[in-house]
Amino acid sequence: MKILIIEDEQELANDMVKYLTNEQYLCECASDFHAAMEKVYGHDYDCILLDLMLPGGDGLTILEELKRLKKQDGVIIISAKNAIDDKVKGLKLGADDYLAKPFHQAELAARVESLIRRKQFDSNNLIVQNELSIDINAKAVTVNDQPLNLTKKEYNLLLFFIGNKNRVLSKGALAEHLSGDFADMFESHDFVYAHVKNLKRKLKEKDYGDYLKTIYGTGYKWER
Amino acid sequence: MGTMSRLLNRPLKAFALYALIILVISIPVYVLVIDYIWTSELDENNWLTLQHTKQRLQSKQFTQAEIENINHIWGELQPGVSIIKVDRKISFKDSIYEAIRPNEFDEDDGEDRFRGLKTFVELNGEPYILTIETNVEESDETFAAVAGITLLFFIILFIGFILLNRRIATKTWQPFYATLRSLQSFELSKDSSVHLPSSDIQEFQELNQSLLHLIKSNVNDYQQQKSFTENASHELQTPIALLKSKMDLLIQQKDISPEISELLNSIEAPLSRLSRINKNLLLLVKVENYQYSDQEQLDVKEHLDSTISLFEDYLNEKQLQLSNQVKEAIVVNANSFLVETLIQNLLSNSIRHTSKGGQIAISSNGKSLIVMNTGKESLDQSRLFERFSNTTKGKVSSGLGLAIIREIANKYGWQVGYSFENGFHIFTVEF
Repeated sequence: MKILIIEDEQELANDMVKYLTNEQYLCECASDFHAAMEKVYGHDYDCILLDLMLPGGDGLTILEELKRLKKQDGVIIISAKNAIDDKVKGLKLGADDYLAKPFHQAELAARVESLIRRKQFDSNNLIVQNELSIDINAKAVTVNDQPLNLTKKEYNLLLFFIGNKNRVLSKGALAEHLSGDFADMFESHDFVYAHVKNLKRKLKEKDYGDYLKTIYGTGYKWER
Repeated sequence: MGTMSRLLNRPLKAFALYALIILVISIPVYVLVIDYIWTSELDENNWLTLQHTKQRLQSKQFTQAEIENINHIWGELQPGVSIIKVDRKISFKDSIYEAIRPNEFDEDDGEDRFRGLKTFVELNGEPYILTIETNVEESDETFAAVAGITLLFFIILFIGFILLNRRIATKTWQPFYATLRSLQSFELSKDSSVHLPSSDIQEFQELNQSLLHLIKSNVNDYQQQKSFTENASHELQTPIALLKSKMDLLIQQKDISPEISELLNSIEAPLSRLSRINKNLLLLVKVENYQYSDQEQLDVKEHLDSTISLFEDYLNEKQLQLSNQVKEAIVVNANSFLVETLIQNLLSNSIRHTSKGGQIAISSNGKSLIVMNTGKESLDQSRLFERFSNTTKGKVSSGLGLAIIREIANKYGWQVGYSFENGFHIFTVEF
């Protein structure tokens, strides 16, 4: 899978490359409007991460151009502007998702994973991992063909873990994923423990392997 | 300062009072002058009549019986007039006297004032006293008449003052009041300049120029301060994003020692606080700058319900009891994002500041939203909604939540209130 990161802040682009690159994903970068346009014209990407404020032009123009060329690339807008107008405008122009800076890399990875999955599977959107299978459309989880009853939050957590396989997820990132942007208003995110504990217990009850590991002091990791 | 009165009413009062004093003083003066003129005219008249009568009597050579007859007839015809024989032959000067006695012709009031003149006359070698009297107006009657007329003139004068005052107010002071109205409607956060009407009165023109100068420098300062906040928070965005991103990469490192992971963990909270403060500063700047201009009809209750479910985990974590008594829709015309932000700030504020096991109650009376939470003591109301005024030590607080609530409310003209009753902090938003 190919991901294009259009971001003028070189350091941040490098971090995204480092975090996203794995056996599945290959990342390319463009740091200004013209470099981005060149890449967009010349290649197809599974996912484009698009910063709206670019030297040389407006990120939204790139989006318009993509749509004009009838390209199928998925687009996630990542903007520091955090302006709701931009979000609405971007989504109207055909962007698939919007993520405001600053964000957790884990959140970005989960969004990318989710977008690529949606683009790949139109009707039968199924994630299979060993004995675990998740039907995204029906929001149903089975382990060894036995249904696993999860609360909405446990289900969200499970998808978030699967979208960040083999990566350590901090409590803060998990809390932000569950409670949205407002998580940083609160001093304690201990509720994350409770949800993860319940998820682990339910998986264990269905004899699913112990993939969800607690990393001392920092958070959790889904090992596969 | 005492009681307030309008500028032009001050001189009006003073003028009216002065006029009243002068007119009141003038009453006795008029009375005395009129009385003096009256009496001196009458005395002159009496004297003339008496001289004339004296001459005639002396020239006619009347006998004593005739004189008595004259006295009798004369007295019958005109009371108070007499010619009486005296025994002793003493010559005395003319004397004036005044008498109050009943007047038979005047039936209204029994007594009248009379002014009389006595003189000595020798007829046929016999001494006689000749007396003549004329009715004169009583001085209390004069007083009443003068006082009545003075009062009438005072009323005319006062009405004139009021009318003149009004005319002056509308004409001369018009630029002053126009300036006043302009200043009253001026808001530093909304208007970049103010229009003050020009005037041909020097003082007003100078006043306007001074005001314009003052406003201009204030607006400049305000704009600079605002753009400083905006620029500063924009500049901070990238480093914060980088810090957050580096943290995410850092925790991926293998073989992190417990000490380091403890440190990493403790960096997360201040980092997210920094991030929140910056987000909130940006939000404040944007609300101030009239971004988020899109408006739609929306139901506050819907936003409230979704916020409550979003914060469910935090409520459970602190074992807070939340009772939501908002049953009916609260429809407002506003920007959806801002309404959501307002409610999230209101609710997160209550959750953060309620101690474990406390209560939060949300209610409404159709056009308002009331959020109550248990607390120990009242907060300082005067500074509560100011930026960074209520930053509590050791809490993840941006210090801007209530400022944001107020800013959003101001934008739509909503009223935000705080009170403390029966151990509850009560925040009210009147839509």
